[in-house]
Amino acid sequence: MKRDAFSQYHPAVNFVFFVGAIGFGVVIQHPAYAAAGCVSAALYYLLLRGRSAWKLILSMLPLAALLTLINPLFNTSGEHILFRVFGRPYTLEALYYGMAIAAIFVVMMLWFGCYNAVLTSDKFTGLFGNLIPALSLLLVMVLRMIPNFFRKMKQIIGARRSIGKGAEKSGSTKEKIGQGMTVLSALTDWALEGSVVTADSMRARGYGTARRTSFQIYRMTLRDWVLLALMVFLAAGVIVAGGVRAEFTPILSIAPLTWGFAAYCVFLSIPTALHIKEALQWRISISKI
Amino acid sequence: MKRSTVSSILTVLLLIPATLYLGTKLPGRWYYLTSTLIIIETMIPFFLAFEKRRPQARELVTIAVMAAIAAVSRAAFAFIPNFKPIVGIIMITGIAFGAEAGFLTGTVAAFASNFFFGQGPYTPWQMMAYGFGGFLAGLLFHKKRKLHQKPVLYLAVLTAFGFVGIVAVVGPLLDCCTIFTTGTQLTWAYALACFASGFPINVTHGIACGLTMLLLSKPLLDKLDRLKTKYGMMEAGTDGL
Repeated sequence: MKRDAFSQYHPAVNFVFFVGAIGFGVVIQHPAYAAAGCVSAALYYLLLRGRSAWKLILSMLPLAALLTLINPLFNTSGEHILFRVFGRPYTLEALYYGMAIAAIFVVMMLWFGCYNAVLTSDKFTGLFGNLIPALSLLLVMVLRMIPNFFRKMKQIIGARRSIGKGAEKSGSTKEKIGQGMTVLSALTDWALEGSVVTADSMRARGYGTARRTSFQIYRMTLRDWVLLALMVFLAAGVIVAGGVRAEFTPILSIAPLTWGFAAYCVFLSIPTALHIKEALQWRISISKI
Repeated sequence: MKRSTVSSILTVLLLIPATLYLGTKLPGRWYYLTSTLIIIETMIPFFLAFEKRRPQARELVTIAVMAAIAAVSRAAFAFIPNFKPIVGIIMITGIAFGAEAGFLTGTVAAFASNFFFGQGPYTPWQMMAYGFGGFLAGLLFHKKRKLHQKPVLYLAVLTAFGFVGIVAVVGPLLDCCTIFTTGTQLTWAYALACFASGFPINVTHGIACGLTMLLLSKPLLDKLDRLKTKYGMMEAGTDGL
Protein backbone atom coordinates (compact mmCIF):
# COMPACT_ATOMS: atom_id res chain seq x y z
CA MET A 1 0.00 0.00 0.00
CA LYS A 2 1.18 3.50 -0.76
CA ARG A 3 1.53 6.13 1.94
CA ASP A 4 -1.85 7.68 2.54
CA ALA A 5 -2.33 11.03 4.27
CA PHE A 6 -5.77 10.25 5.70
CA SER A 7 -4.45 7.03 7.29
CA GLN A 8 -1.97 9.12 9.28
CA TYR A 9 -4.79 10.78 11.21
CA HIS A 10 -6.08 9.46 14.51
CA PRO A 11 -7.98 6.15 14.15
CA ALA A 12 -11.07 7.74 15.70
CA VAL A 13 -11.12 10.28 12.85
CA ASN A 14 -10.80 7.47 10.30
CA PHE A 15 -13.52 5.47 12.04
CA VAL A 16 -15.95 8.39 12.18
CA PHE A 17 -15.42 9.04 8.48
CA PHE A 18 -16.21 5.44 7.52
CA VAL A 19 -19.23 5.30 9.82
CA GLY A 20 -20.50 8.43 8.09
CA ALA A 21 -19.64 7.38 4.55
CA ILE A 22 -21.04 3.85 4.86
CA GLY A 23 -24.02 4.95 6.98
CA PHE A 24 -25.11 7.67 4.55
CA GLY A 25 -24.21 5.39 1.65
CA VAL A 26 -26.59 2.59 2.62
CA VAL A 27 -29.45 4.78 3.85
CA ILE A 28 -29.74 7.44 1.13
CA GLN A 29 -31.18 6.01 -2.06
CA HIS A 30 -31.17 9.29 -3.99
CA PRO A 31 -29.43 8.55 -7.32
CA ALA A 32 -27.21 11.66 -7.26
CA TYR A 33 -25.96 10.80 -3.78
CA ALA A 34 -25.35 7.19 -4.79
CA ALA A 35 -23.42 8.32 -7.86
CA ALA A 36 -21.31 10.72 -5.77
CA GLY A 37 -20.61 7.84 -3.38
CA CYS A 38 -19.56 5.54 -6.23
CA VAL A 39 -17.18 8.09 -7.74
CA SER A 40 -15.52 9.19 -4.50
CA ALA A 41 -15.22 5.67 -3.07
CA ALA A 42 -13.75 4.33 -6.33
CA LEU A 43 -11.32 7.24 -6.55
CA TYR A 44 -10.07 6.81 -2.99
CA TYR A 45 -9.86 3.04 -3.39
CA LEU A 46 -7.75 3.53 -6.54
CA LEU A 47 -5.43 5.92 -4.70
CA LEU A 48 -5.06 3.42 -1.83
CA ARG A 49 -4.57 0.23 -3.79
CA GLY A 50 -3.10 1.44 -7.06
CA ARG A 51 -3.47 -0.88 -10.00
CA SER A 52 -4.78 -3.86 -8.02
CA ALA A 53 -7.88 -1.78 -7.18
CA TRP A 54 -9.30 -2.47 -10.64
CA LYS A 55 -9.89 -6.09 -9.69
CA LEU A 56 -12.54 -5.20 -7.09
CA ILE A 57 -13.96 -2.29 -9.11
CA LEU A 58 -14.38 -4.37 -12.27
CA SER A 59 -15.78 -7.35 -10.39
CA MET A 60 -18.50 -5.03 -9.07
CA LEU A 61 -19.84 -4.32 -12.58
CA PRO A 62 -21.45 -7.70 -13.39
CA LEU A 63 -22.78 -7.90 -9.84
CA ALA A 64 -24.35 -4.47 -10.15
CA ALA A 65 -25.88 -5.40 -13.51
CA LEU A 66 -27.32 -8.57 -12.01
CA LEU A 67 -28.84 -6.69 -9.05
CA THR A 68 -30.36 -4.13 -11.41
CA LEU A 69 -31.98 -6.72 -13.66
CA ILE A 70 -33.25 -8.94 -10.85
CA ASN A 71 -35.08 -6.23 -8.89
CA PRO A 72 -38.05 -5.78 -11.32
CA LEU A 73 -38.73 -9.52 -11.08
CA PHE A 74 -39.67 -9.11 -7.42
CA ASN A 75 -40.76 -5.50 -7.24
CA THR A 76 -43.56 -5.29 -9.78
CA SER A 77 -45.08 -1.89 -9.00
CA GLY A 78 -44.60 1.02 -11.39
CA GLU A 79 -46.36 2.77 -14.25
CA HIS A 80 -44.29 2.04 -17.32
CA ILE A 81 -44.47 -1.65 -18.07
CA LEU A 82 -41.61 -2.71 -20.33
CA PHE A 83 -42.72 -6.30 -20.83
CA ARG A 84 -44.18 -9.19 -18.87
CA VAL A 85 -42.33 -12.10 -17.29
CA PHE A 86 -44.61 -15.08 -16.58
CA GLY A 87 -47.53 -12.68 -16.57
CA ARG A 88 -45.87 -10.36 -14.04
CA PRO A 89 -45.10 -6.80 -15.13
CA TYR A 90 -41.44 -5.81 -15.53
CA THR A 91 -41.50 -2.05 -14.97
CA LEU A 92 -39.16 0.79 -15.80
CA GLU A 93 -39.49 2.27 -12.30
CA ALA A 94 -38.42 -0.97 -10.68
CA LEU A 95 -35.48 -1.13 -13.08
CA TYR A 96 -34.39 2.37 -11.99
CA TYR A 97 -34.83 1.28 -8.38
CA GLY A 98 -32.64 -1.73 -9.09
CA MET A 99 -29.97 0.58 -10.50
CA ALA A 100 -30.05 2.72 -7.37
CA ILE A 101 -29.77 -0.35 -5.11
CA ALA A 102 -26.92 -1.72 -7.21
CA ALA A 103 -25.12 1.63 -6.90
CA ILE A 104 -25.66 1.60 -3.13
CA PHE A 105 -24.27 -1.93 -2.99
CA VAL A 106 -21.17 -0.90 -4.97
CA VAL A 107 -20.67 2.16 -2.73
CA MET A 108 -20.84 -0.06 0.34
CA MET A 109 -18.39 -2.64 -0.99
CA LEU A 110 -15.90 0.02 -2.14
CA TRP A 111 -15.99 1.92 1.16
CA PHE A 112 -15.43 -1.34 2.98
CA GLY A 113 -12.46 -1.97 0.68
CA CYS A 114 -11.03 1.42 1.70
CA TYR A 115 -11.85 0.69 5.36
CA ASN A 116 -9.79 -2.50 5.20
CA ALA A 117 -6.79 -0.58 3.92
CA VAL A 118 -7.07 2.36 6.32
CA LEU A 119 -8.35 0.90 9.59
CA THR A 120 -5.91 -1.93 10.11
CA SER A 121 -6.30 -4.37 13.00
CA ASP A 122 -3.79 -2.55 15.23
CA LYS A 123 -5.73 0.69 14.80
CA PHE A 124 -8.99 -1.08 15.62
CA THR A 125 -7.63 -2.59 18.82
CA GLY A 126 -5.90 0.68 19.69
CA LEU A 127 -9.23 2.46 19.30
CA PHE A 128 -11.35 0.01 21.28
CA GLY A 129 -8.66 -1.28 23.68
CA ASN A 130 -9.94 0.83 26.56
CA LEU A 131 -13.60 0.25 25.92
CA ILE A 132 -13.42 -3.54 25.63
CA PRO A 133 -10.02 -4.56 27.08
CA ALA A 134 -10.62 -8.32 27.35
CA LEU A 135 -12.18 -8.66 23.90
CA SER A 136 -9.55 -6.57 22.16
CA LEU A 137 -6.82 -8.60 23.82
CA LEU A 138 -8.61 -11.72 22.61
CA LEU A 139 -8.67 -10.27 19.11
CA VAL A 140 -4.97 -9.34 19.19
CA MET A 141 -4.09 -12.88 20.29
CA VAL A 142 -6.19 -14.47 17.54
CA LEU A 143 -4.71 -12.16 14.92
CA ARG A 144 -1.23 -13.18 16.00
CA MET A 145 -2.13 -16.88 16.15
CA ILE A 146 -3.65 -17.13 12.68
CA PRO A 147 -0.37 -16.74 10.72
CA ASN A 148 1.43 -18.75 13.39
CA PHE A 149 -1.04 -21.65 13.01
CA PHE A 150 -0.77 -21.48 9.22
CA ARG A 151 2.96 -22.07 9.63
CA LYS A 152 2.38 -24.88 12.14
CA MET A 153 -0.11 -26.48 9.78
CA LYS A 154 2.41 -26.40 6.96
CA GLN A 155 4.97 -28.08 9.22
CA ILE A 156 2.50 -30.82 10.16
CA ILE A 157 1.58 -31.43 6.52
CA GLY A 158 5.28 -31.48 5.57
CA ALA A 159 6.12 -33.96 8.32
CA ARG A 160 3.25 -36.21 7.28
CA ARG A 161 4.27 -36.05 3.65
CA SER A 162 7.82 -37.08 4.51
CA ILE A 163 6.53 -40.31 6.04
CA GLY A 164 4.36 -40.97 3.02
CA LYS A 165 1.06 -39.71 4.43
CA GLY A 166 0.75 -36.51 2.46
CA ALA A 167 -2.57 -35.17 1.24
CA GLU A 168 -1.74 -35.39 -2.44
CA LYS A 169 -3.95 -34.10 -5.17
CA SER A 170 -4.50 -37.62 -6.49
CA GLY A 171 -6.21 -39.18 -3.45
CA SER A 172 -9.96 -39.71 -3.20
CA THR A 173 -12.11 -37.09 -1.51
CA LYS A 174 -12.62 -39.39 1.45
CA GLU A 175 -8.84 -39.69 1.92
CA LYS A 176 -8.35 -35.95 1.59
CA ILE A 177 -11.00 -35.21 4.21
CA GLY A 178 -9.46 -37.76 6.55
CA GLN A 179 -6.03 -36.20 6.07
CA GLY A 180 -7.38 -32.73 6.76
CA MET A 181 -9.06 -33.88 9.98
CA THR A 182 -5.85 -35.52 11.21
CA VAL A 183 -3.91 -32.33 10.50
CA LEU A 184 -6.47 -30.20 12.35
CA SER A 185 -6.46 -32.57 15.29
CA ALA A 186 -2.68 -32.48 15.53
CA LEU A 187 -2.67 -28.70 15.23
CA THR A 188 -5.19 -28.40 18.07
CA ASP A 189 -3.04 -30.55 20.33
CA TRP A 190 0.08 -28.56 19.57
CA ALA A 191 -1.59 -25.19 19.91
CA LEU A 192 -3.44 -25.97 23.14
CA GLU A 193 -0.37 -27.32 24.91
CA GLY A 194 1.45 -24.16 23.88
CA SER A 195 -1.40 -22.03 25.14
CA VAL A 196 -0.83 -23.19 28.71
CA VAL A 197 2.67 -21.74 28.61
CA THR A 198 1.32 -18.49 27.17
CA ALA A 199 -1.31 -18.21 29.90
CA ASP A 200 1.17 -18.89 32.69
CA SER A 201 3.55 -16.36 31.21
CA MET A 202 0.74 -13.81 31.07
CA ARG A 203 0.04 -14.35 34.77
CA ALA A 204 3.70 -14.13 35.68
CA ARG A 205 3.98 -10.83 33.85
CA GLY A 206 1.02 -9.43 35.71
CA TYR A 207 -1.96 -9.85 33.40
CA GLY A 208 -5.03 -8.34 34.96
CA THR A 209 -3.20 -6.33 37.61
CA ALA A 210 -3.24 -3.01 35.79
CA ARG A 211 -4.81 -1.27 32.85
CA ARG A 212 -3.61 -2.68 29.58
CA THR A 213 -1.50 -0.36 27.47
CA SER A 214 -1.35 -0.63 23.72
CA PHE A 215 1.67 -0.93 21.50
CA GLN A 216 0.75 1.98 19.27
CA ILE A 217 0.03 5.26 20.99
CA TYR A 218 -2.51 7.44 19.25
CA ARG A 219 -3.16 10.99 20.42
CA MET A 220 -5.71 13.42 19.12
CA THR A 221 -3.74 16.44 17.95
CA LEU A 222 -5.04 19.78 16.72
CA ARG A 223 -5.27 18.70 13.08
CA ASP A 224 -7.30 15.61 14.14
CA TRP A 225 -9.76 17.80 16.05
CA VAL A 226 -10.03 20.21 13.13
CA LEU A 227 -10.75 17.43 10.64
CA LEU A 228 -13.19 15.76 13.02
CA ALA A 229 -15.04 19.05 13.52
CA LEU A 230 -15.19 19.59 9.75
CA MET A 231 -16.57 16.08 9.21
CA VAL A 232 -19.23 16.45 11.92
CA PHE A 233 -20.18 19.87 10.53
CA LEU A 234 -20.57 18.51 6.98
CA ALA A 235 -22.48 15.42 8.15
CA ALA A 236 -24.84 17.63 10.15
CA GLY A 237 -25.25 19.74 7.00
CA VAL A 238 -26.30 16.67 5.00
CA ILE A 239 -28.88 15.77 7.64
CA VAL A 240 -30.23 19.31 8.15
CA ALA A 241 -30.43 20.25 4.45
CA GLY A 242 -32.56 17.21 3.60
CA GLY A 243 -33.54 16.72 -0.01
CA VAL A 244 -32.41 13.09 0.04
CA ARG A 245 -35.88 11.64 -0.47
CA ALA A 246 -36.24 9.53 -3.59
CA GLU A 247 -39.16 7.24 -4.32
CA PHE A 248 -38.94 4.93 -7.31
CA THR A 249 -42.04 2.77 -7.15
CA PRO A 250 -44.92 3.06 -7.85
CA ILE A 251 -44.20 6.58 -9.20
CA LEU A 252 -40.76 8.00 -9.78
CA SER A 253 -40.31 11.05 -7.55
CA ILE A 254 -36.85 12.31 -6.78
CA ALA A 255 -36.28 15.36 -4.59
CA PRO A 256 -34.37 18.26 -6.19
CA LEU A 257 -30.77 18.67 -5.04
CA THR A 258 -30.07 21.08 -2.20
CA TRP A 259 -26.84 22.43 -0.72
CA GLY A 260 -26.82 19.23 1.35
CA PHE A 261 -25.56 17.44 -1.74
CA ALA A 262 -22.57 19.81 -1.90
CA ALA A 263 -21.86 19.10 1.77
CA TYR A 264 -22.08 15.37 1.06
CA CYS A 265 -19.64 15.62 -1.85
CA VAL A 266 -17.14 17.60 0.23
CA PHE A 267 -17.50 15.11 3.09
CA LEU A 268 -16.82 12.12 0.84
CA SER A 269 -13.84 13.71 -0.90
CA ILE A 270 -11.96 14.50 2.34
CA PRO A 271 -9.62 11.46 2.24
CA THR A 272 -9.03 11.78 -1.50
CA ALA A 273 -8.28 15.48 -1.18
CA LEU A 274 -5.85 14.89 1.69
CA HIS A 275 -4.11 12.14 -0.26
CA ILE A 276 -3.71 14.28 -3.39
CA LYS A 277 -2.63 17.33 -1.39
CA GLU A 278 0.15 15.40 0.30
CA ALA A 279 1.25 13.77 -2.95
CA LEU A 280 1.50 17.20 -4.57
CA GLN A 281 3.41 18.66 -1.63
CA TRP A 282 5.83 15.76 -1.84
CA ARG A 283 6.34 16.35 -5.56
CA ILE A 284 6.96 20.06 -5.02
CA SER A 285 9.39 19.53 -2.17
CA ILE A 286 11.31 17.00 -4.27
CA SER A 287 11.50 19.35 -7.23
CA LYS A 288 12.96 22.07 -5.00
CA ILE A 289 15.96 19.97 -4.06
CA MET B 1 -28.05 -13.16 37.61
CA LYS B 2 -26.14 -10.08 38.65
CA ARG B 3 -27.87 -6.73 38.65
CA SER B 4 -25.48 -5.35 36.05
CA THR B 5 -26.30 -8.22 33.70
CA VAL B 6 -30.03 -7.65 34.14
CA SER B 7 -29.67 -3.95 33.46
CA SER B 8 -27.59 -4.54 30.33
CA ILE B 9 -30.17 -7.01 29.00
CA LEU B 10 -32.95 -4.49 29.75
CA THR B 11 -31.06 -1.75 27.93
CA VAL B 12 -30.74 -3.95 24.88
CA LEU B 13 -34.41 -4.91 25.05
CA LEU B 14 -35.23 -1.19 24.91
CA LEU B 15 -32.61 -0.40 22.28
CA ILE B 16 -33.88 -2.94 19.75
CA PRO B 17 -37.48 -1.66 19.52
CA ALA B 18 -36.14 1.91 19.46
CA THR B 19 -33.91 1.03 16.50
CA LEU B 20 -36.80 -0.68 14.74
CA TYR B 21 -39.07 2.33 15.33
CA LEU B 22 -36.51 4.84 14.02
CA GLY B 23 -35.73 2.61 11.05
CA THR B 24 -39.33 2.60 9.89
CA LYS B 25 -40.09 6.26 10.60
CA LEU B 26 -37.11 8.06 9.05
CA PRO B 27 -36.87 8.72 5.32
CA GLY B 28 -34.40 6.67 3.30
CA ARG B 29 -33.67 2.99 2.97
CA TRP B 30 -32.98 1.72 6.46
CA TYR B 31 -33.31 -2.06 6.00
CA TYR B 32 -29.62 -2.80 6.10
CA LEU B 33 -28.65 -0.33 8.82
CA THR B 34 -31.58 -1.21 11.10
CA SER B 35 -31.11 -4.95 10.80
CA THR B 36 -27.35 -4.72 11.30
CA LEU B 37 -27.72 -2.46 14.32
CA ILE B 38 -30.12 -4.99 15.85
CA ILE B 39 -27.63 -7.78 15.19
CA ILE B 40 -24.89 -5.77 16.92
CA GLU B 41 -27.20 -4.85 19.82
CA THR B 42 -27.99 -8.54 20.34
CA MET B 43 -24.29 -9.36 20.65
CA ILE B 44 -23.56 -6.58 23.16
CA PRO B 45 -24.85 -8.35 26.32
CA PHE B 46 -22.58 -11.34 25.64
CA PHE B 47 -19.57 -9.09 25.20
CA LEU B 48 -20.41 -7.03 28.28
CA ALA B 49 -20.84 -10.15 30.42
CA PHE B 50 -17.42 -11.34 29.26
CA GLU B 51 -15.80 -7.99 30.08
CA LYS B 52 -17.50 -7.74 33.49
CA ARG B 53 -16.27 -11.19 34.45
CA ARG B 54 -12.63 -10.12 34.01
CA PRO B 55 -11.64 -13.42 32.38
CA GLN B 56 -8.59 -15.30 33.61
CA ALA B 57 -5.53 -15.68 31.41
CA ARG B 58 -6.08 -19.38 30.74
CA GLU B 59 -9.67 -18.90 29.68
CA LEU B 60 -8.70 -16.06 27.38
CA VAL B 61 -5.90 -18.03 25.75
CA THR B 62 -8.00 -21.15 25.27
CA ILE B 63 -10.78 -19.23 23.54
CA ALA B 64 -8.20 -17.43 21.41
CA VAL B 65 -6.59 -20.72 20.36
CA MET B 66 -9.91 -22.30 19.42
CA ALA B 67 -10.98 -19.21 17.47
CA ALA B 68 -7.67 -19.12 15.61
CA ILE B 69 -7.87 -22.85 14.79
CA ALA B 70 -11.40 -22.35 13.49
CA ALA B 71 -10.18 -19.44 11.36
CA VAL B 72 -7.30 -21.42 9.79
CA SER B 73 -9.20 -24.71 9.54
CA ARG B 74 -10.26 -24.08 5.94
CA ALA B 75 -6.58 -24.31 4.88
CA ALA B 76 -6.32 -27.95 6.02
CA PHE B 77 -8.83 -28.81 3.28
CA ALA B 78 -7.33 -26.66 0.58
CA PHE B 79 -7.56 -29.56 -1.90
CA ILE B 80 -11.31 -29.90 -1.50
CA PRO B 81 -13.37 -27.03 -2.92
CA ASN B 82 -15.96 -25.37 -0.64
CA PHE B 83 -15.14 -27.47 2.42
CA LYS B 84 -15.57 -25.11 5.37
CA PRO B 85 -15.14 -26.75 8.80
CA ILE B 86 -15.03 -23.42 10.71
CA VAL B 87 -18.50 -23.63 12.29
CA GLY B 88 -17.91 -27.30 13.16
CA ILE B 89 -14.89 -26.36 15.26
CA ILE B 90 -16.79 -23.48 16.86
CA MET B 91 -19.59 -25.91 17.76
CA ILE B 92 -17.13 -28.38 19.29
CA THR B 93 -15.68 -25.54 21.40
CA GLY B 94 -19.20 -24.69 22.56
CA ILE B 95 -19.83 -28.33 23.52
CA ALA B 96 -16.57 -28.57 25.45
CA PHE B 97 -16.59 -25.21 27.24
CA GLY B 98 -20.21 -24.07 27.30
CA ALA B 99 -22.53 -21.78 25.38
CA GLU B 100 -20.84 -18.50 26.26
CA ALA B 101 -17.38 -19.71 25.22
CA GLY B 102 -18.89 -21.08 22.01
CA PHE B 103 -20.49 -17.74 21.22
CA LEU B 104 -17.28 -15.82 21.83
CA THR B 105 -15.20 -18.25 19.80
CA GLY B 106 -17.59 -17.91 16.89
CA THR B 107 -17.77 -14.12 16.87
CA VAL B 108 -14.04 -13.65 17.35
CA ALA B 109 -13.17 -16.27 14.71
CA ALA B 110 -15.42 -14.57 12.15
CA PHE B 111 -14.18 -11.08 12.96
CA ALA B 112 -10.49 -12.00 13.05
CA SER B 113 -10.54 -14.03 9.84
CA ASN B 114 -12.19 -11.08 8.09
CA PHE B 115 -9.10 -9.00 8.86
CA PHE B 116 -7.33 -11.36 6.46
CA PHE B 117 -10.09 -11.84 3.90
CA GLY B 118 -11.59 -8.32 4.15
CA GLN B 119 -14.29 -6.84 6.35
CA GLY B 120 -17.57 -6.15 4.62
CA PRO B 121 -21.24 -5.46 5.18
CA TYR B 122 -21.57 -9.14 6.08
CA THR B 123 -19.14 -8.98 9.04
CA PRO B 124 -21.71 -8.45 11.86
CA TRP B 125 -24.00 -11.08 10.34
CA GLN B 126 -21.20 -13.60 10.07
CA MET B 127 -20.14 -12.92 13.66
CA MET B 128 -23.70 -13.41 14.87
CA ALA B 129 -24.31 -16.54 12.77
CA TYR B 130 -21.07 -18.28 13.76
CA GLY B 131 -21.42 -17.19 17.38
CA PHE B 132 -24.98 -18.43 17.51
CA GLY B 133 -23.87 -21.81 16.11
CA GLY B 134 -21.38 -22.19 18.97
CA PHE B 135 -23.91 -20.91 21.50
CA LEU B 136 -26.56 -23.38 20.39
CA ALA B 137 -24.13 -26.31 20.49
CA GLY B 138 -23.07 -25.36 24.01
CA LEU B 139 -26.65 -24.91 25.16
CA LEU B 140 -27.75 -28.29 23.84
CA PHE B 141 -24.78 -30.54 24.53
CA HIS B 142 -22.44 -28.98 27.12
CA LYS B 143 -24.02 -30.60 30.16
CA LYS B 144 -25.51 -33.67 28.51
CA ARG B 145 -23.19 -36.23 30.02
CA LYS B 146 -25.75 -39.04 29.77
CA LEU B 147 -25.35 -39.18 26.01
CA HIS B 148 -21.66 -40.03 26.43
CA GLN B 149 -22.57 -43.54 27.52
CA LYS B 150 -23.88 -44.23 24.04
CA PRO B 151 -20.99 -43.08 21.84
CA VAL B 152 -22.52 -44.10 18.51
CA LEU B 153 -25.80 -42.34 19.21
CA TYR B 154 -23.93 -39.28 20.54
CA LEU B 155 -21.84 -39.07 17.37
CA ALA B 156 -24.92 -39.46 15.19
CA VAL B 157 -26.74 -36.72 17.09
CA LEU B 158 -23.77 -34.36 16.82
CA THR B 159 -23.40 -35.01 13.09
CA ALA B 160 -27.08 -34.35 12.51
CA PHE B 161 -26.85 -31.23 14.66
CA GLY B 162 -23.90 -29.96 12.62
CA PHE B 163 -25.81 -30.36 9.37
CA VAL B 164 -29.17 -29.06 10.57
CA GLY B 165 -27.56 -26.19 12.49
CA ILE B 166 -25.98 -24.86 9.30
CA VAL B 167 -28.92 -25.45 6.95
CA ALA B 168 -31.58 -24.17 9.36
CA VAL B 169 -29.84 -21.51 11.46
CA VAL B 170 -26.37 -20.33 10.43
CA GLY B 171 -26.94 -20.34 6.66
CA PRO B 172 -30.32 -18.53 6.72
CA LEU B 173 -28.85 -15.90 9.08
CA LEU B 174 -26.16 -15.21 6.49
CA ASP B 175 -28.78 -15.11 3.72
CA CYS B 176 -30.68 -12.46 5.69
CA CYS B 177 -27.74 -10.14 5.08
CA THR B 178 -28.23 -10.60 1.31
CA ILE B 179 -31.93 -9.81 1.66
CA PHE B 180 -31.32 -6.59 3.57
CA THR B 181 -28.46 -5.36 1.36
CA THR B 182 -29.99 -6.07 -2.05
CA GLY B 183 -33.78 -5.94 -1.64
CA THR B 184 -35.82 -2.89 -2.55
CA GLN B 185 -39.02 -4.12 -0.95
CA LEU B 186 -39.14 -6.53 1.93
CA THR B 187 -41.53 -9.12 0.53
CA TRP B 188 -41.83 -12.79 1.34
CA ALA B 189 -41.27 -13.59 -2.32
CA TYR B 190 -37.90 -11.85 -2.34
CA ALA B 191 -36.89 -13.38 1.01
CA LEU B 192 -37.85 -16.86 -0.21
CA ALA B 193 -35.91 -16.32 -3.44
CA CYS B 194 -32.82 -15.35 -1.42
CA PHE B 195 -33.17 -18.36 0.88
CA ALA B 196 -33.71 -20.65 -2.11
CA SER B 197 -30.64 -19.37 -3.94
CA GLY B 198 -28.61 -19.75 -0.75
CA PHE B 199 -29.92 -23.27 -0.08
CA PRO B 200 -27.41 -25.27 -2.19
CA ILE B 201 -24.53 -23.33 -0.63
CA ASN B 202 -25.93 -23.96 2.83
CA VAL B 203 -26.28 -27.68 2.10
CA THR B 204 -22.62 -27.93 0.99
CA HIS B 205 -21.60 -25.94 4.05
CA GLY B 206 -23.81 -28.16 6.22
CA ILE B 207 -22.28 -31.36 4.86
CA ALA B 208 -18.79 -30.03 5.63
CA CYS B 209 -19.90 -29.08 9.14
CA GLY B 210 -21.60 -32.45 9.73
CA LEU B 211 -18.50 -34.31 8.51
CA THR B 212 -16.35 -32.21 10.83
CA MET B 213 -18.58 -33.16 13.73
CA LEU B 214 -18.53 -36.83 12.71
CA LEU B 215 -14.76 -37.12 12.31
CA LEU B 216 -13.39 -34.48 14.65
CA SER B 217 -15.80 -34.18 17.57
CA LYS B 218 -14.57 -37.25 19.44
CA PRO B 219 -10.80 -36.61 19.14
CA LEU B 220 -11.17 -32.89 19.81
CA LEU B 221 -13.59 -33.27 22.74
CA ASP B 222 -11.28 -35.86 24.29
CA LYS B 223 -8.36 -33.46 23.92
CA LEU B 224 -10.24 -30.53 25.40
CA ASP B 225 -11.48 -32.70 28.28
CA ARG B 226 -7.95 -33.89 28.92
CA LEU B 227 -6.80 -30.30 28.98
CA LYS B 228 -9.42 -29.57 31.62
CA THR B 229 -8.19 -32.39 33.86
CA LYS B 230 -4.52 -31.83 33.15
CA TYR B 231 -4.40 -28.07 33.72
CA GLY B 232 -7.80 -27.27 35.22
CA MET B 233 -8.58 -24.92 32.36
CA MET B 234 -11.94 -23.24 31.84
CA GLU B 235 -13.15 -24.07 35.33
CA ALA B 236 -15.10 -21.28 36.95
CA GLY B 237 -12.85 -18.60 38.38
CA THR B 238 -9.95 -20.80 39.44
CA ASP B 239 -7.63 -20.49 36.44
CA GLY B 240 -6.23 -23.90 37.38
CA LEU B 241 -3.94 -22.53 40.04
